[in-house]
Amino acid sequence: MSETSKLLEKWLKAEEFIIVGKSIDRVDAIDKVTGKAKFMEDYTIPGMLYAKIVMSNEAHAKIRMINLEHALKIPGVVRIITAKDIPGENQAGYALPDQPLLAEGKVRYHGEPIAIIVAENPEAAVIAASELNIEYDPLPTLLDPLESMNRRDILIHEETGSNIAFTTKVRRGDVSKGFQKSDVIVENEYKTQHQEHLYLETEGALAIPEIGGTYTVMSCAQYPHLAQAITARILGLPTNKIRIIQPYIGGGFGGKDDTGPLVAAQAALASHLTGKPVLLIYSREESFRIHCKREQSIIRYKSGATANGILTAIDVKIIMDAGAYANRGPFILWRATMHASGPYYVENAKVDGYCVYTNKVYQGSFRGFGNPDIQFAVESQMDEIAKELGLDPLDVRLKNILKPGMTTMTGQLLDESVGVGKALMMLAEKADWRKKRKMYENEKGRYRKGIGLACGWHGISTSRGVPDWSNAIVKVSKDGGVEVYTGITEIGQGTPTTAHVQIVSEILGIPLEYITIHFGTTDAPDTGATHASRGASIGAIGVLIAAAKVRERLATLASEILQCNPEELKFENGKIYSKNDPEKSLKWKDLVNEAFNRGVELSSTGYFYLPKGKFDHEIGQGYAYPAYSYIINIAEVEVDMETGIVKVTRMWPAIASGRIINPKAVEGQIEGAIAQGIGLALMEKVEFDNKGAIINPNLTDYIVPTAMDMPKVEKPIFVEDLFRYGPFGAKGVGEMALIPTPAAIANAVAHAIGKRIFELPLTPEKVYFKIMEGRICQK
Amino acid sequence: MALFYQIPKLNYHKPKNLNEALKLLKELGDAKPIAGGTDLMVDMKIGRVKTRNLIDISDLREIRKIEFHKDSIIIGAAVTLQEIINNERIRREIPILVEAAENLGSWQIRNVATIGGNICNASPAADMAPPLLILNSKLKLSSINGDRVIPLEKFFKGPRQTELMVDELLTEIIVPRESCNAGMKFIKIGRRRAHTLSIVAVAVAVRTMEDKIEYVRIALNSIAPTPIRAYKTEEELIGSRVNEVEGKVKKLIEEIKPISDVRSSAEYRREMAVKITIDALKMSIENWRCKEK
Repeated sequence: MSETSKLLEKWLKAEEFIIVGKSIDRVDAIDKVTGKAKFMEDYTIPGMLYAKIVMSNEAHAKIRMINLEHALKIPGVVRIITAKDIPGENQAGYALPDQPLLAEGKVRYHGEPIAIIVAENPEAAVIAASELNIEYDPLPTLLDPLESMNRRDILIHEETGSNIAFTTKVRRGDVSKGFQKSDVIVENEYKTQHQEHLYLETEGALAIPEIGGTYTVMSCAQYPHLAQAITARILGLPTNKIRIIQPYIGGGFGGKDDTGPLVAAQAALASHLTGKPVLLIYSREESFRIHCKREQSIIRYKSGATANGILTAIDVKIIMDAGAYANRGPFILWRATMHASGPYYVENAKVDGYCVYTNKVYQGSFRGFGNPDIQFAVESQMDEIAKELGLDPLDVRLKNILKPGMTTMTGQLLDESVGVGKALMMLAEKADWRKKRKMYENEKGRYRKGIGLACGWHGISTSRGVPDWSNAIVKVSKDGGVEVYTGITEIGQGTPTTAHVQIVSEILGIPLEYITIHFGTTDAPDTGATHASRGASIGAIGVLIAAAKVRERLATLASEILQCNPEELKFENGKIYSKNDPEKSLKWKDLVNEAFNRGVELSSTGYFYLPKGKFDHEIGQGYAYPAYSYIINIAEVEVDMETGIVKVTRMWPAIASGRIINPKAVEGQIEGAIAQGIGLALMEKVEFDNKGAIINPNLTDYIVPTAMDMPKVEKPIFVEDLFRYGPFGAKGVGEMALIPTPAAIANAVAHAIGKRIFELPLTPEKVYFKIMEGRICQK
Repeated sequence: MALFYQIPKLNYHKPKNLNEALKLLKELGDAKPIAGGTDLMVDMKIGRVKTRNLIDISDLREIRKIEFHKDSIIIGAAVTLQEIINNERIRREIPILVEAAENLGSWQIRNVATIGGNICNASPAADMAPPLLILNSKLKLSSINGDRVIPLEKFFKGPRQTELMVDELLTEIIVPRESCNAGMKFIKIGRRRAHTLSIVAVAVAVRTMEDKIEYVRIALNSIAPTPIRAYKTEEELIGSRVNEVEGKVKKLIEEIKPISDVRSSAEYRREMAVKITIDALKMSIENWRCKEK
């Protein structure tokens, strides 16, 4: 076993903790509530220029001509940048190399960036952007993925020969035999919609030319090293010439994982071509029109079960609207495909996924990453099976729920860390599920209550054998101060300002104020992205290992000084002492000073490469993810039968995601995810006109839940089903509570009104007309 | 400095008193009065309103007052919605105005948005219009040449079009006291529970005698090019028994012309207009009965 694995295991097995598991306040809390915390807009550089993006007004068209002459004459305009000015490679695609930073030759969605105006003042940039003369030759547009996937005469990417960007599959057992064995078959089509991230802070970047031909780019990406790589590629420079730093970020939710690096590259490109610092911040409308959205999905789902409610087979077809570029679409589809069974055991499974190009804004990362869509279908199906069989939906789930030792639909053995069944039973009891479920069935009045249940699971880390690793640098100064360098960013979730400081404080036994985390920077080794709920799990392994290495060295030194065994030493509250003889003790600062005097190195990296298996695409079986986090939500709603208005009155969450490092931070993540899930379930939808333009790209017409729309969220149940590679066994929570929220609410609404709606969002209008279906005839 | 949009250069005027404001309005010809600016600034940003002169009327004492007279209550046009909500006498004597104001925008918006602005913006979705319509409110339109008083229902001409002449300013909203003597209710359906534009909203005022409706006012927003009074439905209801109202309100669909937009379909608006009008009527009747006791 390697040294790093030993250290991970040692801390996984720790039995008592000083600060891990405690609800400490985030170290950035005071700055944020008093308005002292700095965000992108708070930074300016003397002499900086302002950039503005010129967007396409066509969804699919050849760019015949861009006439710069007139716009260049506007006073204050310094430069207008188009694709041909890019010194490096005009390529910003993620999963596939299909996406230019600035449109070249043709545009593929309404809102696609075509040019960057650089001006001495923002007014000039705004005027020039509106007056830049671009002539198009329009092409036929494809907006419906079902149409697009069958068309070959109109191609969004000519070089591909098809509008299907990517396909996925899972095959297990024999589904036709499985359906034969079933006593009930339930088959439905589900639809989910484009959702906007709507971070409080839009995308932005400030690029500054530095000495030696390097650039410092302050960006709002979720992965500084990706922003660095894309910026370097665009500029045609090696990555070592680009340094990414990040201020606090006003929300990411995945949108800034995908679009953040592109904005960094756009600002850097402008800075590179003008030799000046350049600030680029998207307006709300630009952010809406340019950046990726949660994908629209169409899911056809057929389930078979025995009379007892045991699943015998599933046959699933997932079609996702990729929009104009593949971006993360293939990975999103892959995740949805691998999670298509839900956290349930099923012997026979057939799943096919299609990621389809259309002329709409491209899809991308969004909290849950394809999983809320598929769990909406899975969990609606579970309720429909229960209904057909006259069983309690809780029992149907308990009969099929994954347990340690079982295999997933892809044949992967789950040998540990499967706490979902326990969490489900505990939550049902806490919410008094059986009693409420029966009681609400008999509601007769205008306002009817309903209660719904939904489970979710979410694979930890990247999929399959896609490499994933963690790293960080920990260094200790002579006075005992500790600095940590990590690429993990602070996007509001609080990972660097809670979990990371707690991990270092726990391992080195020092007070929080001794520790500073330098986050979101390429000054740190590549840590991977702050996405996939990994900041405090995979992303924090490096922090743990680097700190643990330093501790081992200090423990050896202390044992020499104190004349005792290193294993009997405790590091606590700035002191190192022997637990057998507490008189034998040293102050942290004195021990550090001794280390400097005696030549003991007190800096360390914490590299860890996650062991993984393989997935066989040909047979649709294999290793999908190293472990899964599990989440269950129970939602209680009240529906006004006369207006269709749904009020979510209460939510009970339970989470099985390994060690909880900071319960308060986790509660915050759960509440925020539920709010965003309520938006997806009840009201949010990006609407397009028949030319592919977004018709609600503003806060008047695109609505998200307010505080008044929030239910009472009960204290979550934590089942700490430790994951062997997680720091202290943590698996990750950021996305979890969103995943089953739409399904839980839809199930509760179906319970309240006695009918199911298969398409999100459940707007008052949709619910009202569903209630009215068939009623008119009765009169 | 606006980073994201460009408003053409304009002159900002801050008159010291109403007379000076009216004089400026006449002299400048194309000026726009600004109070809270919550609608106007958005319109200027998207280019729907273009003007070279803004006259700030938000601090004019003459129109930022609430007066309680023997026959009427006068609300200055520059009174903010939050000032209406906070006014104890308004809350007691015309609670329906507080109900409507509390449902409009967010607290931040209500702190600057004015009742006059909500009316003069003439949005089909103006939330203060239905309650003011059922109160038989009158508007005082002032110019340097003098004042005129018109009923509110004559004020709206179309979406964002009003009776105001270029040199006129809405200065006062006059609510007759006798109109306050009724049972009233305001109901609004939006897309979420707060800070929302209406899908449809209704205000109702009712007096009954011996279980028959002897006086009724119904006004709605978001179901026609302007906020409207439902005259035909009112007529239908007069003299009918309180247990017959449900059937009578069905008439309403004949006098509304809802459209489909990003907030709702026309069909849903039509059905909801009827539903919430019935609800508001029933609650108004209940409120009237309580009042009479």
